[in-house]
Amino acid sequence: MLRKLRLSGILVILGLIVEALSLFWNNAFSFMSFVVISGSLFASGILLFLYSLVSSQTSAFDN
Amino acid sequence: MIGPQTLVFLLIGASILLILVVVIRPSITASREGKIIAFLALFIVPVVAAGVGASEHMERSEQTQFCLSCHIMEPYGRSLYVDDKSYIPAAHFQNHRIPVDKACYTCHTDYAMFGTIHAKMEGLHHVYVYWFGTPMNPIRLYQPYNNRECLHCHSGARSFEESPTHTAMMGDLKASKISCATSGCHDTFHNVDQLDHVKFWKPIE
Repeated sequence: MLRKLRLSGILVILGLIVEALSLFWNNAFSFMSFVVISGSLFASGILLFLYSLVSSQTSAFDN
Repeated sequence: MIGPQTLVFLLIGASILLILVVVIRPSITASREGKIIAFLALFIVPVVAAGVGASEHMERSEQTQFCLSCHIMEPYGRSLYVDDKSYIPAAHFQNHRIPVDKACYTCHTDYAMFGTIHAKMEGLHHVYVYWFGTPMNPIRLYQPYNNRECLHCHSGARSFEESPTHTAMMGDLKASKISCATSGCHDTFHNVDQLDHVKFWKPIE
């Protein structure tokens, strides 16, 4: 679970950094980088975090 | 007063700091408080930061500068500076009849229910086609220009309402039976294929 937490944290941080960078420009490229790159990193980071919660819950039940 | 961009940067900074705490010391999640911090750091704050960032990007996408950032739109941007008042977009832009910083969005948004959402969806489609597809050449409107967009501002304006030409056909104009744009009265728009043969207006710096 800790490894997944770390990985999800890194993914979300990368997403946040891309979001911050995209706000320095106002053009279609910065918009697309926000939607595609930042969005993918966010989604994967948050989903991994939620999955780590669910899987740790499941393993606690199993034990 | 904190602007939206500052708010996004503050949220991003706070989010990164919180996440770093969890990434550097993931063992804190063993406690109940640590779990709450992890949930805030990895879910609540990033989601809020992304939401505010998305809202800021959507707001910026209404700006003229944004529309003209695509190469294909460059001649349409130039057409706003044509020194000929029969060019409807140029006359509106140069005389500030529309907000200069939101010129494209003001005239190319449906002033109907969900018009803003519709415009944003079309904008997303334009960006998608520009980057991943083949934009139509020359660019065309999806549908004929609706009088509703003109009347959104002109309806009720004295110069419009008192014009004998408009008065004679007011019902048909409001019902879009006669088009403002294609019935021969106001039919000069961007005309980008003629830009090499026109004079341009230079704004005073």
